[in-house]
Amino acid sequence: SSGINAEYGEYMLEMERSLRQVNIDYQQVGFYQSTYLNTHCDRNFLDSVFDYLEEMNEAIALIYDPLKTKLGNLCIRAFKLSLAAFELYKEDKDFTALMLRDKSLTYQNLFKEIPVVVKNSTLTNVLMCELDKVQDNTSFFTLPTSSYLEKSMQLLLGGLDEINQDLQKLNMHQRAVYKQQTQIMKHAQERKDENSGREKNGLKPLPEEDFTKMFKAPPPVGRLESLLSANRIASHCEMIEEHVKSGIGKLYLADSFMS
Amino acid sequence: GINAEYGKQWYQRRVRGVLNYYTNYYYKSNLRMATEARAVALPVRKVIIHPVVLFNIVDNYERRHDNNKRVIGSLLGRYDKGVVIVTESFAVPHQETEEEVSMDMEYAMRIGELQKKVNTNMYTVGWYSSGIVINEYSSLIHAFYKCQCPTPVHLTIDTVMKDQKMKINTHITLPIGVKNGTEGCIFTPVPYSIHGAEAEQVSLKFFQQLRGAKKTPNFNDQEQIITSCDDMISQINIVLTHIKKVLAGDAPADKELGRQIMEVVQAVPNLDSDTITNMLNSHMQDLLAVEYLTYLTRQQLAVSARLNQIL
Repeated sequence: SSGINAEYGEYMLEMERSLRQVNIDYQQVGFYQSTYLNTHCDRNFLDSVFDYLEEMNEAIALIYDPLKTKLGNLCIRAFKLSLAAFELYKEDKDFTALMLRDKSLTYQNLFKEIPVVVKNSTLTNVLMCELDKVQDNTSFFTLPTSSYLEKSMQLLLGGLDEINQDLQKLNMHQRAVYKQQTQIMKHAQERKDENSGREKNGLKPLPEEDFTKMFKAPPPVGRLESLLSANRIASHCEMIEEHVKSGIGKLYLADSFMS
Repeated sequence: GINAEYGKQWYQRRVRGVLNYYTNYYYKSNLRMATEARAVALPVRKVIIHPVVLFNIVDNYERRHDNNKRVIGSLLGRYDKGVVIVTESFAVPHQETEEEVSMDMEYAMRIGELQKKVNTNMYTVGWYSSGIVINEYSSLIHAFYKCQCPTPVHLTIDTVMKDQKMKINTHITLPIGVKNGTEGCIFTPVPYSIHGAEAEQVSLKFFQQLRGAKKTPNFNDQEQIITSCDDMISQINIVLTHIKKVLAGDAPADKELGRQIMEVVQAVPNLDSDTITNMLNSHMQDLLAVEYLTYLTRQQLAVSARLNQIL
């Protein structure tokens, strides 16, 4: 995949040089991406947002939802990593639970959504008036089809599965930590007993070292994946709710037509 | 306009003089091939333009260098059985004075290749220029584009707005004249229609609601339903008034219109009220169940997030 990255970089450089020649703004201010039912929110996306933010403080990621736009509502949103998430990601690519608690980072303030405002130049507005007569009607009144709902539900279940796996990992980690702690305590206790026994026999007591060096603590579990999954699930739920609300309205409309 | 060529050699000399800056052997031989070969031209009956192309051209015109009166660029798209579908465009740097015109052909070919990497379906199908004047420079540039595709389409859009309107015209060239004598080509108009993909229509509709102001795209479906309902009601009213007029004898009855109205009325499925209420109720129950489940899930997530903070 480094070959693809090299080609991508070459393409970007060429386009930038060429755009400069025709007076088009060539400064990179972010990137755009299309999404399928809000599944864009994964590690790659986070990496890209982080890379752009490192270069430029005001970089944004534009997310375009083609399915929703087809249904009649232009859906373009802009996202940025929140400040806390940005700093955390700089330190450690896999967040740990302690870090999350320090910065009070939950799945809700992982990404910051920025309102999008659309503005046209005057000449473009003239063009819009010209195109006024050429309007087709969009298929907006599609009833809430089961396929859209089914897919959303499937994705929701998938997200829940992922969170479940993460929870199991967390549980295992906690059990390992607990085991390590009990081992340390047991060893310290044995040493104490031995020492008291030796004292009774008149021998020199053994040093009571720090046993944490002997039993290594298990590495902390990364919490990033669970945050992302939670984010995804929350957005799926939002989408489904919106869809259901409008769906009920459309059902009543259809009822008035048919009865 | 008609541009008479006084002979192959004169034409070649003229072209070579114009391409002084950007020419090299490859392009020279290409042009010679174009003028000699009389490439087989594919018939073009209609042009379909996507709205995004027009917006690109207007944007390009707004960003031009101060000394250029017009801008040109390539049109990309595909050709489908006599219909040219123009889906994209990009600007090409060019200079134009009273005596000569020059354009960066290497730029045009390079960007064409780059675009093909991103979208393999698209290839050059013509070129555009702002301003409605078609002169001999246009035919020179058109000759270059004949190397790229057999029947290039020339699109002009009047950004200067001579008649208070932004007129759009599409042309192709056809050869005229006597063989082995005075030959030339004439720019003939071709019918065009502006038609985009569904997503483009939606964005266009949104832009029209802007009416010159700034606005945030609204993802709230319910407001959309209300506005669409209003639209539909007004449209139905228009049709109703027309029908009433026809019944009263004020307006002439049109067979085509009548058939279309009947199609619309028959589109509503004809079922008895019991099945309808059953279907609607079950559908409604599904939706409500799903909504309850998602509500539950969200509360769970919020609770777990709070717990993570505490533990």
